[in-house]
Amino acid sequence: MAATKSQGKDLTLFMAGLTAVCAGIAFSSSGAGKVALVLGAVGVAVALWGFFKIKPLEGKTGGGAQPAVMKLIGVAVVLLGWLTVLFGLHLTASVGGRMMTSIIGLAISLAGIFFVLAPAVSKHAVWKA
Amino acid sequence: MRLARIATWTCALAVVLLAGATVARADAAPSASAGELKGALAAAPTTSTLANGDPGGTLTGTVNDVPVGDAKAGLTLGDVGNQVGQNKIAINFVWTLVTGFLVMFMQAGFAMVEAGLCRVKNANHTYMMNFFVYACGLFAYWIIGFAIQMGGAAGNGNLGGLQSLNTEHMLTLFGTHWGIFGECGMFLARSTYDVGVMVIFLFEMVFMDTALTIVTGAAAERWKFLAFAVSSVLMGAFTYPLYGNWAWGGGWLSQLGVNMGLGKGYCDFAGSGVVHAVGGMTALAVAMIVGPRIGKFNRDGSSNAIIGHDISAVLIGCFILAFGWFGFNPGSTLGASAAGNLRIGSIAVDTMLAGCTGTFGALLYMWAMKGKPDASMSGNGLLAGLVAITAPSGFVSTSGAAIIGFVAGVLVCFSVVFVENFLKVDDPVGAISVHGTCGLWGVLSVGLFADGTSNYGGSWNGVTGSVTGLFYGDASQLVAQIVGIATLVGFVFTFSFVLNWILDIILGQRVSIETEVAGLDLPEMGQLGYPEFIFRAEPDFIQAADRAAVAVA
Repeated sequence: MAATKSQGKDLTLFMAGLTAVCAGIAFSSSGAGKVALVLGAVGVAVALWGFFKIKPLEGKTGGGAQPAVMKLIGVAVVLLGWLTVLFGLHLTASVGGRMMTSIIGLAISLAGIFFVLAPAVSKHAVWKA
Repeated sequence: MRLARIATWTCALAVVLLAGATVARADAAPSASAGELKGALAAAPTTSTLANGDPGGTLTGTVNDVPVGDAKAGLTLGDVGNQVGQNKIAINFVWTLVTGFLVMFMQAGFAMVEAGLCRVKNANHTYMMNFFVYACGLFAYWIIGFAIQMGGAAGNGNLGGLQSLNTEHMLTLFGTHWGIFGECGMFLARSTYDVGVMVIFLFEMVFMDTALTIVTGAAAERWKFLAFAVSSVLMGAFTYPLYGNWAWGGGWLSQLGVNMGLGKGYCDFAGSGVVHAVGGMTALAVAMIVGPRIGKFNRDGSSNAIIGHDISAVLIGCFILAFGWFGFNPGSTLGASAAGNLRIGSIAVDTMLAGCTGTFGALLYMWAMKGKPDASMSGNGLLAGLVAITAPSGFVSTSGAAIIGFVAGVLVCFSVVFVENFLKVDDPVGAISVHGTCGLWGVLSVGLFADGTSNYGGSWNGVTGSVTGLFYGDASQLVAQIVGIATLVGFVFTFSFVLNWILDIILGQRVSIETEVAGLDLPEMGQLGYPEFIFRAEPDFIQAADRAAVAVA
C-alpha cells in the first residue's frame, strides 16, 4: 500500500487528538480543559480506528506472524527480573546482598530477552520458510 | 591603695576607648566600600574617552555598566551583588544554550550515519525519518514529555533555581517516598513560562531527540513511515521522559542514595543510560517487532552482510556526532560558573579521549581478527567510546576515560555479532550495540571508575560527597548503577516492546514485501534519494531473496 492520503489524515487527527488530551490534562481544573480532554480522547480513538481499518491494505509483509503467547511469556520474564531487583533491595541492607539480588534480577531479564523473546519473534520468520 | 585605684580607672578607660575604636571601625567599613565604589565611578572612563575607541579593550566594561537600582542613592553594594549573581546565571544560560545547539546539530550526524549505512533505494526514507523525528519528538516533549521528566526538578542553582518545576508525583513504598513522574510544565504554560525553564527545556529536548533518532537506524529499510511517526511521538511523550525523570528529574533512581544508602544514587552524568541505552533498548524492541530485512538471513540461520551505499556520509556523520558530543557531555554541567563547573575542561578531554580509544578498540579488533580496518565498524567504535563515556565523563580521570572508551570499542564489535547471529535481530546500522550495549557499559563504568574527585557543590543527588566507584572504595555506587541497568533492561525495554507491539496490532509496523523489495523511497516518500543516478543491481543473494519473498506474497 505504501504511504496514502488516509494515513496522512489519520496521523493529523491523531496529533490533534493527542494535543487536545494533553491540553485537557494541563488545564483539567477548568471546564474547557475537561471538554478538550474528552474531545481529544475521541479524536485519538477515531484516529486509531482509522489506522486499524487501513492496515490490511498494506498487504503481506516480510515480518511474518509470531506467537503472541510466547511473546507475552517473554515480556513477563523480563519484567519479573526487574521486580526481583526492586524487591531485592528491601530484602537486605548489606551492599553485597543487594548486589547479588540486583545481578540475579538483571540476569533473569536478560534471559527473558535472549532465550524467550528473541526466539519468539523469529519463530515463524519469513527467512525460515 | 591609691595606686591600685588609678590603675583600675586607667584600665577601665582603656577598655572603653578600645571598644569605641572597634565600633568606629565597624561603622567605617561600609563607608569605606561605598567610598571605593565612588572612587571606581570617578576613575571610570567617560563617554568622551570612550568616543575615541577602545582598541586594547581596557576601557570597555567598567563600573559604569552596572545597572543602578535607585538613581537617587547611586551605585550600591546591592547593585554590584545583583549584577554578579546575574552574571553567573547569564554565563550558565549561554553555556547551556550553546551546548544544546551543538547537541541539536548531532541530528545531522545521525542522519548521515544511518542513511549512509542503508542501501541507496532507501536513502530518502532514512534521511526523512531522521529529519521528521526532530519535529515528532520536540512537539511531544512540549505538550507532555517535559512535564513528566522535569516537572519536579526544582532546585538547580546553576539556572536560577527553576523553582516553578516543583511538583513530583510520589509513591510511598516500605515507608520511603519515591518520585515517579513530574506534573508541571505541560506546554511550558503558567508558572513554567520562565527564563530558566526555557533553557532547561531546550537542553533536555535535544537530548530526548537524540534518543529517538537511535531507533530509526535499527528499524531502517523496512519501517513504515506512519508507524515510525506514531511510535516516535509516543516515545518522546512517555518512554524517554519516564526514565529521564527517574534519573534526572528527582525520581526514584536518583533517590537510591538518600533512601537506601546506595552511593550518591543512580548517577548518569550526561546520559549513557538516559539517552543512549533508552534509545538502544527501544531500538532492540522495535527491531524485534518489525523483523529482519528480506535477504538478511538465510534459511540455515546464517546472515548476509547488506552493505550501505555511502561510507563517506557515514564517516563525516561520525565526525559531526563527535563534534556535537562536546555539547552533550560538557554541557551537562548545566553551567560554567558555579562550584565544580570548571570541570568542563576535564569532561571535554575525557570525551575526546574515549572516542579516540573507542576508535582504536574497534579498528584494531577488526584488523586483527578480520584482516581489514573496517570503516563502518571504526566509525561505530568512535561512537561506542563516546556513548560509553557519556555517563562517567563528569566523574572519571583521563586514564579511566581511555579504558572505558577502549572497552566500548571492542565491545561493540562483539555485540554486533551477538545481536545478528545469536538473537537473529537485524540492525542495519548497529544502533542496538553502539547505543544499547555501550550505553549500559557506560552506566556500569560509573560504578567502577568514578574517582571521587568531582565536587559539584559538595553533593550529588542530595548525598554529601563526590561520586566514587568500586575501584576507589565505594561498592554501593556500583549497586545503584546495576539497579539503573536492570531498569533499562527490565522496564524500558518491556515498556517499549509492549507499546510498539500494540502499535503493530493497530497500524502495522512494517511495509509490504513489494515496497521493501522496490525500496522505500518511491512507495513511502514519493521520491528517490538520488533520482539522476543509475544504480548497480543488488547482489545475487538479495535478488534471490527478493524473488522468493515476492512469490510468497
